[in-house]
Amino acid sequence: MSETDAPPKARWNKRGQVFDVRDHPLPFAPDGFAQSPQALVREHDVRVYFSCRQRDVLGKFVSRVAYADFDFGFTRILRTSAKPVIAPGAPGTFDEHGIFPLSPLPVGDQLLALTTGWTRRQSVSTDGGIGLVISHDGGETFIRSSAGPILSASLHEPFLVSDGFALAINGRYHLWYIHGVRWLDSGVAGVAAERVYKIAHAVSSDLVQWQRTGRQIIRDRLNADECQALPTVIEHGGRWHMVFCYRHAVDFRDNPAKSYRLGHASSADGVRWDRDDNDWALPVSSQGWDADMACYPNLFKLNGQVHLLYNGNQFGRFGFGLAVLEDT
Amino acid sequence: MSPPRRLHWAKRGQVFKLADHPGRPWLNSHAQAPATLVLADRVRVYFSCRPAPDAQGRYVSHTAFVDLARNDLTRVLAVNDEPVMALGARGCFDEFGVYPFSPINMGDTVRAFYGGWTRCETTPYTVAIGVAESHDGGIRFQRLGPGPLITSNTVDAFEISGPKLRRFGSRWYLGYVAGVGWHEVGGRFESIFKIKQATSTDGLNWQRTGHCVISDVLGADECQASPDVFEMDGRFHMVFCFKHGTNFRDNARGYRIGYATSDDLVNWQRHDHLCDLGVSAQGWDAQATGYPHVFEVDGQWHLLYIGNNFGRDGFGLASLVSA
Repeated sequence: MSETDAPPKARWNKRGQVFDVRDHPLPFAPDGFAQSPQALVREHDVRVYFSCRQRDVLGKFVSRVAYADFDFGFTRILRTSAKPVIAPGAPGTFDEHGIFPLSPLPVGDQLLALTTGWTRRQSVSTDGGIGLVISHDGGETFIRSSAGPILSASLHEPFLVSDGFALAINGRYHLWYIHGVRWLDSGVAGVAAERVYKIAHAVSSDLVQWQRTGRQIIRDRLNADECQALPTVIEHGGRWHMVFCYRHAVDFRDNPAKSYRLGHASSADGVRWDRDDNDWALPVSSQGWDADMACYPNLFKLNGQVHLLYNGNQFGRFGFGLAVLEDT
Repeated sequence: MSPPRRLHWAKRGQVFKLADHPGRPWLNSHAQAPATLVLADRVRVYFSCRPAPDAQGRYVSHTAFVDLARNDLTRVLAVNDEPVMALGARGCFDEFGVYPFSPINMGDTVRAFYGGWTRCETTPYTVAIGVAESHDGGIRFQRLGPGPLITSNTVDAFEISGPKLRRFGSRWYLGYVAGVGWHEVGGRFESIFKIKQATSTDGLNWQRTGHCVISDVLGADECQASPDVFEMDGRFHMVFCFKHGTNFRDNARGYRIGYATSDDLVNWQRHDHLCDLGVSAQGWDAQATGYPHVFEVDGQWHLLYIGNNFGRDGFGLASLVSA
């Protein structure tokens, strides 16, 4: 497709940081954070689940899931959760050190959600798995469908199976998720290894048994060690669109030039994807809360308009923001 | 079907003693979970062993083999010079251990399932089952992938270990050991684990029910391991080992050998009293007997097992006495 044939580029109207945890402190999360916002459009409001942090007995962070409810204009915060929406995982289970993110998945009249569970390892910082949870009280709390994950490491996806986002399409569930491919040794004693992970795809008829496509579906833009995370998918204008975040594998925490940016790909079938970060591009701002990085995107439609929640600087240390797509 | 008969095993001593094979740093201690591959002139016995622990007292496990003479299983022909495969890469499920190891002869290929160990933070470890294949008669094995073949899922939330890979006709059968939870006792996490089974038509895609297939005799915290299934006299037999879930080291609460039979490879009836392989009055297996493995060579059934201290010094042999 030549430039002249290209469809008009969409433009994001940035609405700023709509949730600042400093203005809405959660009594159960003294260390703040509001990471990986995930929207659930309800009858009278939009509930946004996100992960905040507690410290455990070792002083290490554990991610807990909370929510904030917004009016449809995202100008008012109606309420925040009084306690975490899901209990901690038992010792030795895949999510014992936290859930990040929780991705709501309405199925018929049931409210399910996919979780990413975290568990710490000794030689590397963490491993992950994808769980399935269900709410019986309209999304106030969730319980696990099983103590173990619905998707975890496999022969060719050796670790860090995470970031599940599912949609039902033509009677089948499609899951976009990530898995680790390697840990990069720092080569320096006391300096932790860093992980490399890619976006993958699987399908299922029941959300429990998954057929993995078995390949990386989003080509690298930076280099072979590009880290890709948090795929979120929506149908718009007759095509599937995915927004995700990507970064360099090392030096990404404090160096804005190597930290997370939002990427984009589109697809006719949800399986084969064309990456075009310029389309649906949401660049970092020149200054402010999302000037250093943009990460952990979540797409949803409200009144026919595509909305995007995402985190900014410090991986969502203080909150999350919103952008609304303006088709040109 | 007739009631199962008593299996009487004649003990033939500790046929493999680590002390007889010095000079291999990776084989400093332990010869656990023996499993056999019957070859033309020898029986290759895979076992899992440990180098000396690191400065923090942590072990890794390797899998190696010793060849016993087929016509005299008490005679050691050779011990391999190195483990059959390296430990897994950083962050992989088998970074800190390949143990145990269960080979099956597929003609040109030997396929093996193994337990891969990694270290966790709250609980000391977790385990998942990997697969590797050998094309040189079982000397060196290559992984089919860097990740596990069988790991935790909706029916198995905790560690998956102790694979025993079998093929009965066209049916692939896997006995395995699944954690069902951890007990924290005096600041130490102890796993409670049970015997489960999986089935497959191709040996790579497995169906699991998650059911514990062997009833407990020591109560809900009984730990069960080494589900070793064999077909003899028209029915299926399983020898395994079991112990108390806590406070089982250096006392009478350690491993003993259990026994069950099945007509359909699905439902098992436990008859420990019909498989007589108890502890000896003294010696290397006076405190415990565990990790049994049964195999047939030239019409004779044999059983390999470990004794005291979880197989720290070697493993032993017993042979079935005909009825």
